[in-house]
Amino acid sequence: MMTQGKLQGLTKAVDVYKNRYKRLRELRAEGKKIMGYVCAYPPLEIVTALGYIPFRILGTMDEPITKADTQVPAIICPMLRSMLDLGINGKIDFLDGFIGAHTCDCTQKFSHLYQYNMQLPFYRFLDVPHVVHKPSLDFMKEGIRILQQSLEKHTGQKLAPERLQEEIKKHNEQRALVRQLYGLRKQDPPLLSGVETLQIVLSLLCLPIEEGSTMLREIIAEVKSRPQKIQKKHARLLLWGTPLTETSIVEMIESADANVVMDDICTGTRHFGLDVELTADPLDGLAKRYLDDLKCPRTYREATDSFAADQEARFGYIAKYVRDWKVNGIILESMKYCDTHGYEVPAIKAYFDRLGIPSLYLEHEYTMVALAPLKTRVEAFVEMIS
Amino acid sequence: MIAEKKKGVITRLESAGLVRPLVNKMYSEGNLAAEEGRPVAWAMVNWWEGDIIMRAMGVTPVYPENYGTVCASDGIVQKYMGVSAAEGFPTHLCGYAQNALGYTTEMKKEGQVPPDAPMGGMAKPTFMLCSEGMCDARYKWFQSLRQYWDVPIWTLSFPHPDFYDLQDESIHQINIDYMAAEIEGFIAFLEGLLKKKIDYDKLEEMLANQEKVFQVWWEINDLRRAIPCPVHGRDFWTMMVPCLYQAYDPQTLAVYQAVYKEVKERVDNGVGALSEERYRLLFAEIPPWASLGFFDKLAERGWNFVAESMGYHPPPPMELPGNGDIKQRIARWTYWFYISHVYRASKKGYYIAGAAQPYYNWAIEYKADGMLIHPVVTCRTATFWLTHTINVLKEKLEIPGLSIQGDIVDITLFDAASALNQAPAFEEAMDHFRQVRKTKGLDW
Repeated sequence: MMTQGKLQGLTKAVDVYKNRYKRLRELRAEGKKIMGYVCAYPPLEIVTALGYIPFRILGTMDEPITKADTQVPAIICPMLRSMLDLGINGKIDFLDGFIGAHTCDCTQKFSHLYQYNMQLPFYRFLDVPHVVHKPSLDFMKEGIRILQQSLEKHTGQKLAPERLQEEIKKHNEQRALVRQLYGLRKQDPPLLSGVETLQIVLSLLCLPIEEGSTMLREIIAEVKSRPQKIQKKHARLLLWGTPLTETSIVEMIESADANVVMDDICTGTRHFGLDVELTADPLDGLAKRYLDDLKCPRTYREATDSFAADQEARFGYIAKYVRDWKVNGIILESMKYCDTHGYEVPAIKAYFDRLGIPSLYLEHEYTMVALAPLKTRVEAFVEMIS
Repeated sequence: MIAEKKKGVITRLESAGLVRPLVNKMYSEGNLAAEEGRPVAWAMVNWWEGDIIMRAMGVTPVYPENYGTVCASDGIVQKYMGVSAAEGFPTHLCGYAQNALGYTTEMKKEGQVPPDAPMGGMAKPTFMLCSEGMCDARYKWFQSLRQYWDVPIWTLSFPHPDFYDLQDESIHQINIDYMAAEIEGFIAFLEGLLKKKIDYDKLEEMLANQEKVFQVWWEINDLRRAIPCPVHGRDFWTMMVPCLYQAYDPQTLAVYQAVYKEVKERVDNGVGALSEERYRLLFAEIPPWASLGFFDKLAERGWNFVAESMGYHPPPPMELPGNGDIKQRIARWTYWFYISHVYRASKKGYYIAGAAQPYYNWAIEYKADGMLIHPVVTCRTATFWLTHTINVLKEKLEIPGLSIQGDIVDITLFDAASALNQAPAFEEAMDHFRQVRKTKGLDW
């Protein structure tokens, strides 16, 4: 059987997406070290600069939760419960360390419980503030500094600022490639489907940065040169919401006479959309990018002028996506029990109502089996747009 | 039959009755302030990080979380939750939040406090004060209210160090410095909004009172280690309110001093809150406010609740070093409240349980026989650790746990009758594990 390391382009992305841990196990067998992390907030530049391959721990909608339910009640985020389950059941058995984070309340608690169960050789927790005041940025920088020092101590290596700058450039390069990839969906019909895009992005979360970037270059060339594959459809949709760990929801939407052409999710643009500014002290750039620039509802931004100004501060960047990708409808997707996204729903809906962009809120249970009733609602929504 | 029914019923503290006027004052003062044109803030519980600053600036805080319990007891919460859902808010959100979102929608529609709002409702805020502390609802909910109240919002910062970090002394000062810097920002925000300067003498006076309140309220709870326990959880839930919301107030100090006196007398005379204390239990975390009578039924069986509700306890006497700067002191107390259980346990040599540490400590210090947990359908924060906690207590201390699901406001979700049916079997488990603990050398 061919190793994933030798595969190329879209074939590789699909294979890595379908067998997500295979490449990581191959790399570990070669002596590489793997660092698990949660959410889009841990600064991966430090992780890779100190020799680890970052792996974003995600749950799966494909498998029922078993042992985790003996530790966490069922009203907690199903993705986190699934992530814990995969760990306890030994499915993710290739980690050399774990970076937890206070991104939302449940992820904070999950981080502790995950390490309590897994007892990995390296563990560090990043306390990410919810606000973006000046002291919060300083605090974030301090947290990143402590993470760096902990990892330096663990590895016995010292990370020079120049080396970190180089690493930031490498990550920014990958981000630029992902933006190019997303750009292929601006035309109508898009050159790349929503399902394909999600497969590619999810596979990137399981690959070394350089390997992922090489794969992205191959994919971009491949897609540009292949015959038009995606059909023109009535709806060009943007998908906003909680992380997607499988393509099933996008498949369901795209089977309903719609193309998903853009997203605002943290296994998508939130993760890859923004560069780290190259600052004299690289930690300044990292703190700003990961706390302030990264737009997730978990971060609170004061806007004192009016509710309209508040909405603009929270959702204005999505409106730009809508314009640039010629979106004519928005799916607001959230897995059940995600409070962070749940509180946003009326405000974001009102914002896009004001802009004349219809939206549909879909709450799902994070299981494959519960998607059928949602499809009927998506079909009705697409028909309404048409 | 009558004598048997009375057996085990809770002997409530007489001095606990002194708390009621304070609570009434808290509920009425917001409306009074609004009538008199003084600023009113809708505030989250902030564990003393912002309250005395507001008070020193002449702002009267009202607490929508608390108002959720009022609406739950009144029964109107179902209406407000329905209104919230009709506004598009998911029904799994915090029950208190759903209540406030529904209430606010009605208030905006009516153009005044809704006529059916219990206890005179909540006056329109001048601004809103969120807290990052411990749960996401406590900043997201007010952010959601922004579409109804076009008023400024401030969010108080609250570091969440990992439990594994709490033994690292260097982390603490970083966190406190951050909080103090954010408190400075909050003061500047208030000064700008209210166009006046804070009175630091008044703030100092309030902080000094607050520190005394912490001390005496902590001592009261420490006395509950006595066997039999002199104060049942029912009295705790009544008495915790002034410390959490009115620690600045000299009246609160006077009430707690009276409570301390009564509790000390009970301890000195071997008097318990139950005539026959058969079992000593811990409770986590938020009780079913509208069904507290359930605990009376358990008291009839000799179940005494000796420690409970970590989030409602005062911080213990301060052990963190630090300077006398008032912003640092305010920050230090809130931070100490958050970390003290793990910090103190590690010093005592029984750091073991991470998030379950508060209950682990109490299980040892209060000699608990069992633990009752109340998973709350609309509160992930209070519910996340519950299963883990009873697992840890069972694995490490041979203390069994019982889980009874309910909610903080939705009274339809708590089934007291079926819960009571589980009591006899759980008593057998508590009896059994008493024996097991003895064989393992545990001293209770």
